[in-house]
Amino acid sequence: MDNDFLTIALPKGKLLIDSIQRLSRIGIECQHVNEDSRKLFYDLPHSKVKIIICRATDIPTYVEYGAADLGIVGKDTLLEENKDVIELLDLKFGYCRFVVAMPEGSVPPKHANGEYDLSGLNHQRVATKFPRVAETYFSELGMQVNPIKLHGNIELAPCVGLAEMIVDIVSTGKTLRENHLVEVAPILEATSRLIVNRVAYRMKYERIRDIAGKLRNDMNEEVLDVQSL
Amino acid sequence: MLRTNLGQRIPEGMRDLLPEEIALQENLEREVLALFQQWSYQKVLSPTLEFTACVQPDVEQVDSLYKFFDRDGRILALRPELTTPIARLVSTRMRGANLPLRLCYGADVFRNSSVRYREFRQVGVELIGADQELADAEVIALAVESIACLGLENFQFNLGHMGIFSGLLLEAGVEEGFRQKLEEALARKDMVGVERLVQQSGLPERVQELLLRLPHFHGGEEILDEVLDWSFLPTIREAVESLRRIYRYLNYFGVQKYVSLDLGILRGFSYYTGAVFEGYVAGIGFPVLEGGRYDSLYADFGVPQPATGFAIHLGSMLELFPLPSIPGADILVYGPDPQEIIRESRALRLQGKKVEMALETIDRDAAEALARLKSISEIKLAGEEVSRG
Repeated sequence: MDNDFLTIALPKGKLLIDSIQRLSRIGIECQHVNEDSRKLFYDLPHSKVKIIICRATDIPTYVEYGAADLGIVGKDTLLEENKDVIELLDLKFGYCRFVVAMPEGSVPPKHANGEYDLSGLNHQRVATKFPRVAETYFSELGMQVNPIKLHGNIELAPCVGLAEMIVDIVSTGKTLRENHLVEVAPILEATSRLIVNRVAYRMKYERIRDIAGKLRNDMNEEVLDVQSL
Repeated sequence: MLRTNLGQRIPEGMRDLLPEEIALQENLEREVLALFQQWSYQKVLSPTLEFTACVQPDVEQVDSLYKFFDRDGRILALRPELTTPIARLVSTRMRGANLPLRLCYGADVFRNSSVRYREFRQVGVELIGADQELADAEVIALAVESIACLGLENFQFNLGHMGIFSGLLLEAGVEEGFRQKLEEALARKDMVGVERLVQQSGLPERVQELLLRLPHFHGGEEILDEVLDWSFLPTIREAVESLRRIYRYLNYFGVQKYVSLDLGILRGFSYYTGAVFEGYVAGIGFPVLEGGRYDSLYADFGVPQPATGFAIHLGSMLELFPLPSIPGADILVYGPDPQEIIRESRALRLQGKKVEMALETIDRDAAEALARLKSISEIKLAGEEVSRG
């Protein structure tokens, strides 16, 4: 095993461009990495880094097993996959929120404080890509629901009667509106995270600390830039 | 009855060990146990099944036990580790034993959780009734030597101390709820959560800085001097000086170069009480060895006494080693008469030979072919050869 090289797993999809930008800015020359080519594996000998591109939901697994030392992944995926990895740094991009949403016509009544009263929704079906997150949220409210795991287009499920409500991530809320769905409860907010394999963090400590430190500084500089505008 | 599809499979996380694989595991275990015995650790074995009341410390917690009922309706569990069963064994049947007690084991443990194997071999030691730093150092040095004796080269140990973290929280006077949340986040390795908790805690800035730094504080003896500057509280100083003495002993044991100090080794908050350590091997994504001082466990069995130890997840490391080739028999005995074959084979086995018998009547050519096929170096005719043709 070469101790010099770091393997970094990056997710396909909307987090990839930001991830590459961040890594490039701290001196890991990976501007040419993209998911349009069929290439899933990039060797960057100059930076002593290997980059692998995989599905977001698989990144915690790659890192847990040590197939990748580091990974960048959304907190949403991290919560759902629940793997044994070190969550080292909040990279603060890819902001989204987990919400419970229902069709406009069937929203529950509201409490005096303006929040929706979910207590009538026991034993209803929840369509979601995140059954673990959904179940944890409702069980903390003392409720029981029946999650139905789907892999995409969650908002379709209530329209065709597959489920009474959905738990999904939203960034702007546009998709919800287009499908006549209303947010009835926020669950939590999620951004992308730098995750680390627990052995890599010990055996490649200096390099990983260096990268984490640079990523943190890079974020602080970005904040300053915005403030000085 | 023909087995169903299910009857031909094995449960998730279980595995069969084929001849080369079990030979490998046994070879490794033999090496390590021989080393333990050289350090005067005596082997014990606890039962595979225990009462859940013994191996489950906190009924409120989600556990990863395989559970069954006995005939009286009591809940049994397959042992998930050996340290607690050994504490039970020592506190009951070995209650009057001369201390310190040095015990070791090699046994399968069972964990009904999702990570890789759910049954795997563990080897480990317990040093019971000794609170000296030399005892900690002995166990850590033995841990390093165990990994080294397996022939692994690219390995590393990290050593920390639970007392520094708990001392810091004590000094800051944090409330119970905060401490619990912080420990939970650290146990999940959720450093983003730790950061958020600490920043929202309203604790003095200096304490916040130290709490954020501690889990990432890593290096040689110099980091201990720095920690001493953090605080004048005796509990922290005691933990730091204790860690320093252990670390210096490791130098005398000749193993210090493999061990880094790492105050981020924080786990098993309700279990470990002093020096804690982990062993890592390149190519395996989780610690292959875990250990530390657990001075409160024996009180749970009514016989309070200090103890330290470690366990190696031997069954999870097999892929690091080449499979041994298992040599064929020394001699193939063949011939026309079963009685002669048996007689000849018994005689050869008495001479210490590894003997395989031809079960069918075969001639010399067929015996040679069979011997070649099975890597048997020699063939021997028992009694008279049948005439050919």
